[in-house]
Amino acid sequence: MFSKDIQTQVDKLLSRYPIRQNALIPILHLAQKENEGWLSEDWMQHVADICEVPLTHVEGVVTFYTMFRLKPPGKYHLQVCTCVPCCLVGGTELLEHTEKKLDIHAGHTTDDGVFSIEEMECIGACSFAPAIIVNEDYHEQVTPEEMDKMIDELRQ
Amino acid sequence: MPVFHIDGEPVEYEPGEKVLSAALRCGKIIPHYCYHPGMSVVATCRMCLVDVVDLGNGRPAPKLQTACSMDAAEGMKVETLNPKVEEGRKLVNEFLLVNHPLDCPICDQSGECTLQDYAFEYGSGKSEMDYSKRVNGWRDIGTFVALERNRCIQCSRCDRFTREITGTNEFGMFNRGHELTIDTYADRPMTNKFQGNMADICPVGAITEKEFRFKRRVWKLKKNRSICTGCSTGCNVTIEHDRNEVFRLKPHENQNVNKWWLCDEGRLTYRLMNERKTRIHQPLGRVDGKLEGVSWEEAYAAIAERVADMSPLPEEVLALTDTHASNEELFLLQKLLKDVFSTDNTFCPLPKWEQSESEFFINTLITTDKTPNRAGALALKIKGDAKSAKLKKAIEAELKVVFVLGNPFEAEVEVLEKIKKAQLVVHLGTFHNSWSEIADVVLPGQYYSEKEGTFVNKNQRVQATEIAVHALRRTRPEWRILADLSAALGQQSSYGSSADVFNAMTEQLKAFSGLSYAEICRVGKELRQQTKDSGMKVVKAQT
Amino acid sequence: MAEETLVLFKNIRNPKYDKSLAAYKKSGGFKSLKKVFGMKPEEVVQEVKESGIRGRGGAGFPTGLKWSFMAKGTGKPSYLVANADESEPGTCKDRELMLKDPHMFLEGLMIGCYAIGCHHGYVYVRGEYFPSIKSLNAAVDELYADGLLGADPLGSGFNLDITIHTGAGAYICGEESALLDSLEGKRGHPRVKPPFPAVSGFNGCPTSVNNVETLACMPFILGDNGVEAFKSFGPQNNSGTHLVSLSGHVNRPGVYELRMDVNMKDIIYEYGGGIRNGKKLKGVIPGGSSSPVMTADEVDVLYNFDDLAKKGTMMGSAAMMVFDEDTDVVKLLHRITRFYAHESCGQCTPCREGTHWSRQIVRDFLNGNGSDEKLQRLNRVGGNMMGTTLCALGDAAAMPIQSFVKKFPEEFRKYYATV
Repeated sequence: MFSKDIQTQVDKLLSRYPIRQNALIPILHLAQKENEGWLSEDWMQHVADICEVPLTHVEGVVTFYTMFRLKPPGKYHLQVCTCVPCCLVGGTELLEHTEKKLDIHAGHTTDDGVFSIEEMECIGACSFAPAIIVNEDYHEQVTPEEMDKMIDELRQ
Repeated sequence: MPVFHIDGEPVEYEPGEKVLSAALRCGKIIPHYCYHPGMSVVATCRMCLVDVVDLGNGRPAPKLQTACSMDAAEGMKVETLNPKVEEGRKLVNEFLLVNHPLDCPICDQSGECTLQDYAFEYGSGKSEMDYSKRVNGWRDIGTFVALERNRCIQCSRCDRFTREITGTNEFGMFNRGHELTIDTYADRPMTNKFQGNMADICPVGAITEKEFRFKRRVWKLKKNRSICTGCSTGCNVTIEHDRNEVFRLKPHENQNVNKWWLCDEGRLTYRLMNERKTRIHQPLGRVDGKLEGVSWEEAYAAIAERVADMSPLPEEVLALTDTHASNEELFLLQKLLKDVFSTDNTFCPLPKWEQSESEFFINTLITTDKTPNRAGALALKIKGDAKSAKLKKAIEAELKVVFVLGNPFEAEVEVLEKIKKAQLVVHLGTFHNSWSEIADVVLPGQYYSEKEGTFVNKNQRVQATEIAVHALRRTRPEWRILADLSAALGQQSSYGSSADVFNAMTEQLKAFSGLSYAEICRVGKELRQQTKDSGMKVVKAQT
Repeated sequence: MAEETLVLFKNIRNPKYDKSLAAYKKSGGFKSLKKVFGMKPEEVVQEVKESGIRGRGGAGFPTGLKWSFMAKGTGKPSYLVANADESEPGTCKDRELMLKDPHMFLEGLMIGCYAIGCHHGYVYVRGEYFPSIKSLNAAVDELYADGLLGADPLGSGFNLDITIHTGAGAYICGEESALLDSLEGKRGHPRVKPPFPAVSGFNGCPTSVNNVETLACMPFILGDNGVEAFKSFGPQNNSGTHLVSLSGHVNRPGVYELRMDVNMKDIIYEYGGGIRNGKKLKGVIPGGSSSPVMTADEVDVLYNFDDLAKKGTMMGSAAMMVFDEDTDVVKLLHRITRFYAHESCGQCTPCREGTHWSRQIVRDFLNGNGSDEKLQRLNRVGGNMMGTTLCALGDAAAMPIQSFVKKFPEEFRKYYATV
């Protein structure tokens, strides 16, 4: 199920651990990437087979970690941190602003499938708060105006 | 063995043993939920908190410790009843109750629920939880058990059961924190053959047996020790019954046989204990070609008269039995033929059977031999072979008298046809079957739950059943019927109980020598002289 | 602005530094590793012990002692796992190291591997740290290309591999035994201890788990005269410089490298440039969200392990969150309790139920339904999580609750129901 390129990465990962199960979480990341940002049962089964663990084990792992998603996110996944340091300097307001701007609540995707919002616990950019992650990129000390601008630019 | 102290009393422990394990072994009660002696220690329920006032080095532990994960040590002093411990238990139990529904009135676990027990002991009687409780809802997770996740206290015993005991991995932990659920993912049904055990080990009413749901409050149930007769493993059970109706079988711990477990098929054998439609209710005699009700005396007298009339030769007499019969019954049947008719023509079916082999112990409980006493028949040297060749030869003779115990050779029509032609066929049994149809006299016996008897399991272990429920009024236990018959046919017979018969066996038979009935009733004991079973084949268990 | 003491940030503060292997070597990198390869592993552990370095992840356990606990002669491989699952709210120091000077940390990791006889070190990085993961992977590739990793680096005869492992979003995986479960490919549930990881860790083998910053100190400690210099940076028992993540209502939030004898007041007013918009200080959460809060009156204290412990709080991961007079403390506590309710792994009772219940109670206050009884109950629920759980998350969730209730009771009164 993996593309050739990613399969090479999977094989490399497997070679880095004493047992196959150890590579489960990194391989799930790759599977999620291959499947447009979420994990279907087919993919979980595939990864379970690769790592030689039962499917329920994979499902337990997937539902434990917040980065694994069981439904498709938007093309741009906006992860807004509202944890303590961000919340002190406007993270909550930034989230509310973003929700209003896109007319969706955190945890949802816009109808056109372009944006989704996730409210994050601490993302480790506390001294540069409020911070957000867009897909894999950090943006720090983000103001509502910058958020508007970023959304408008991404939409084009 | 080294010694440590619980509440001032010395307790012996195996090196490496945990405080809780040693305490339970010595009958000390320390409340707990997640700990189970058969599974790994997770120390997550936090209920078994104890105060270690001396770690064995003169110093106390800084805070309360979980007894399940604490290594016992020489000289250690543990307190389980002081105010600090009480406080600890109170707070853990309060946490467990904040999201537990107050549905004891409709919960089948009620009465055997440790959460209920400890809430009674440590609860405040008043909830300080002002907010709506967690709701997860029902799940249909398979044929045998139901899952009510609202009642779950996340002890993870069921999860560990499918991982460590059956290896089938149907259960898992999903989500986390307050949302943590333990179930099968997305309503997937379970497939393992031991689901009932999950209801047993669930400390609350989250997993209950479907078969038992809403049937009876558990505190009404009376319990008797017995063994499961569903196959030749002989798992130890308790028969749980009320008003002479059996409601369920539960495993009884025996480390030498079934540990803590019982298969679902075995649990369902309780149904036959309540079966009335096909039961033989009273002695029957064939009058003008039709079976009619007669008294016991009439039946015995008729048999004695016919036998005297025929005065058959040894080869004209035959007895058939299945291996459901107890040792005492087999012994007396064999003895009847020897003493009265001077023949050892007692036959039983001994088809080949398969024993499962598996890295998971529980799978080895299942065998394809669905009779409880094959090994007993072998020890008693009842004749038989895999293809019934010996029997087929014996029935070639002109048969006059045939005794049939139970339902042997049920699939072999030619045997039935041959026996049909005998002049007198006496059937002893509990249920109507093709033998009772062709019999001239039918003598109603009693089912396992109604009588005493000993059985030899596949590992040569002799174990006993005890009387759990009253038998039907006009039936008699088979050992007594056989003793009565022997007397009616002119022999001296003085057995007052099944135990008397067993004691006679220990005196007369080498295989059974040295066994004590009391010990067999308690934990069972292996035969001193064992018979090899050539019909057994070991196969890999399917998972 | 007050001066930093640059040990860990000596390259990062150099505007010309480009974090390449060549640049790191030019700054004196890998000299310590070379020196270490000439020493016996026990000698390395001894030097680390002498330096007095205490773990920078939060607990402050002496690193040398931890390494000396590693089970020997087990016939199993030993492992060193770098804990880069930085997720304690307020903490963002390891990210700086991995992102901007990965080689210093990796050299430290390699020194640690040699010291405990580990031939395959793992770096457990939290999954959200995409830029740091890229930076680390690039650095590891450089090291392999250069022969510093793989077979026989620097002619030492000591084969060494390093793998960057990504987590997937779980605060609890910062707890060392949960981290190991996660590294093994399981749900991150803290384990029953004993056995401790030094006896049975990754895949049941002896394992040491050390924080990124702790390991990044190793090249300095094992450098020339490193032990003495390291000890000189702070009072006894609190040696070395450390990275302070300063956040909240200060004018200059950021990560600062400081000696351990700097006053907390100076960190806020000198390094941090004081409170934003000329407001007054109300309080500080001194060491990550789990440390007991301090009021404005209490901040005149040296910022190190022991001095903060004397004040009834802790330095933890050295993450200072400063808040001003306008801050609604109840809202702040609600955010903290929400965090712990979200991040509890759920396996053990007091934490699973207590974190959620306490969050419900604080929210009740925010809805204007507070009362004396509920405040006591909140304090009691917090206290009941304390010391009764399998891992330290119960304590971590309890400490802010109890300290907020104790130090800001009047703030809760604002939310009492008016009858």
